[in-house]
Amino acid sequence: MVMDLHVSLPRGLTLANPVIAASGTFGFGPEYSRYVDIGSLGAVSVKGVSPEPWLGNPPPRVWETPMGLLNSIGLQNPGMEVFVRDDLPFLREKGATVIVNIIGHTVDEYARVASRMQGEAGVAALEVNISCPNIKEGGMSFGHDPEQAYQVTRAVRQATDLPVMVKLSPNVTSPALIAQAVEQAGADMISAINTVVGLAIDVEHRRPALGGTTGGLSGPAIKPIALRVVYDVAQSVSIPIIGMGGIASAADVLEFLLAGASAVMVGTVTFQHPGRMQQIIAELPQVLSRGGFRGVSGAVGQALPAASRPQTRGGDL
Amino acid sequence: MAGQQFHDGQVDARIVRREEVARDHVELILESPALARAVPGQFAHILTPGMLRRPVSFSRIEPDSGRVGLLFQVVGEGTAWLANCQEGERLDILGPLGHGFAPPDPSRPWCLVGGGVGIPPLYSAAAQWRESAPDVIIGARTREWVLMQKDFEQLGLGVRVTTDDGSWGQAGTVIGPLQEWLEGHADGQVFSCGPTPMLAAVASACRGRAAAQVALEQRMGCGIGACLACVVPARGQTQMEYRRVCTEGPVFLAEELIW
Repeated sequence: MVMDLHVSLPRGLTLANPVIAASGTFGFGPEYSRYVDIGSLGAVSVKGVSPEPWLGNPPPRVWETPMGLLNSIGLQNPGMEVFVRDDLPFLREKGATVIVNIIGHTVDEYARVASRMQGEAGVAALEVNISCPNIKEGGMSFGHDPEQAYQVTRAVRQATDLPVMVKLSPNVTSPALIAQAVEQAGADMISAINTVVGLAIDVEHRRPALGGTTGGLSGPAIKPIALRVVYDVAQSVSIPIIGMGGIASAADVLEFLLAGASAVMVGTVTFQHPGRMQQIIAELPQVLSRGGFRGVSGAVGQALPAASRPQTRGGDL
Repeated sequence: MAGQQFHDGQVDARIVRREEVARDHVELILESPALARAVPGQFAHILTPGMLRRPVSFSRIEPDSGRVGLLFQVVGEGTAWLANCQEGERLDILGPLGHGFAPPDPSRPWCLVGGGVGIPPLYSAAAQWRESAPDVIIGARTREWVLMQKDFEQLGLGVRVTTDDGSWGQAGTVIGPLQEWLEGHADGQVFSCGPTPMLAAVASACRGRAAAQVALEQRMGCGIGACLACVVPARGQTQMEYRRVCTEGPVFLAEELIW
């Protein structure tokens, strides 16, 4: 049967399929292109880009946990000019749908990156990262307070007419409150969740295992947390949600769609299986079909309480 | 998920031999013409049941037979799983990855300095460039962890051995014999691999006296340069910067790093 994997998102953003490479796990594009046809993915969200280069956190930067991965990279990146000069042309040439993940220490820095990407050929959307747990100043704090989340989203909104999604933290009492704030500030979409803040201990050296002390947990361990946040946020805002957190299979994708996500991001599993995203895309039609759906959009939100469920035309599931 | 797809740069390699070379140390010989194109110092990134692959440097690289060796120490769950793999089983490997050693200049004296599980990649360098006949200094905590001494000797190379506890060779570390070698050889070149404190001491001993290439270990994520996990501090043009062990390394010039 013909299965429609297309995803239509605000401001004319259309994805060929709902599987997006998650920011921070896929570099700036060229790194994985030997293993993955990056043009065949729904989109690629590149590693966080700031106005000036960021050094990142001291190593060690990763630590394995049961079914999870703790990282403390600290948003190391070469700055927006190097990204535009060195990586964006490659992404364009490969036909990738590019989401630029933007970061800053101040509201103004976020706005500067947004403004720089405006009109830059090949940039399809922005993802405002207000939720990285590995940055002490700026970064995460914007995602922990509705007023600050509003301010930074507003500034980005005014700097660009690109589609804007805001990436939420699970490390707050109510992600839904933050989601409502960024929706009011003009965000077109929400992406959720960023990593869950955690700590590992290096017993041999009697100290925290990561150079940055705490880190962000990703991988299958956080999938239930992510689903809970997507499910809550979907009932609190009317803009689309890009869900992520521990997705490793097409079956996982369907869970996120049913919980209210319109598309998904896949990250940590790529470290084990570079080709897994393409495999998920290949297997998604069968998984949707088995679930009784004819396309991606028909599945979105179908596990939500009836009052929050998107309207579906009869027989369009 | 059934039937993992393989891509360019991803190898399905069969284990043709497995040997416990010392307590907690296993060498797997793999059949893989693609991996056998490796440069000494490069590594294989091996899928294990954990969340991350495990990087292991090549101990042997034999393009003629299409075989490579991976000699590693069992330090955790991933390497314990790998050590239990049997002949005939297959491994899912990304590689060869990273920058290996630059070939030695045959007109200058050359010395290999290895510590513990850092010794095997130096053997692959000695075998690849055997006509340059390096002097070899290897050390370990104790006698049974002095790896591959016989292999070096079968190449006809002179090997000096040190052990921390004096149970084999000279008591002490590799730094003593290295100092002597540096005094006897002007304009030398040193290839080294081992624990980071040992490499720092090698870098310090070689400063201003010999060109040193060092192969580093670091906790690694993707292995191909995307995640920026495995970085080490290096001297940038104007200030400190982090470089990736998986991509700019594992082999660096000692002088480019901040120790």
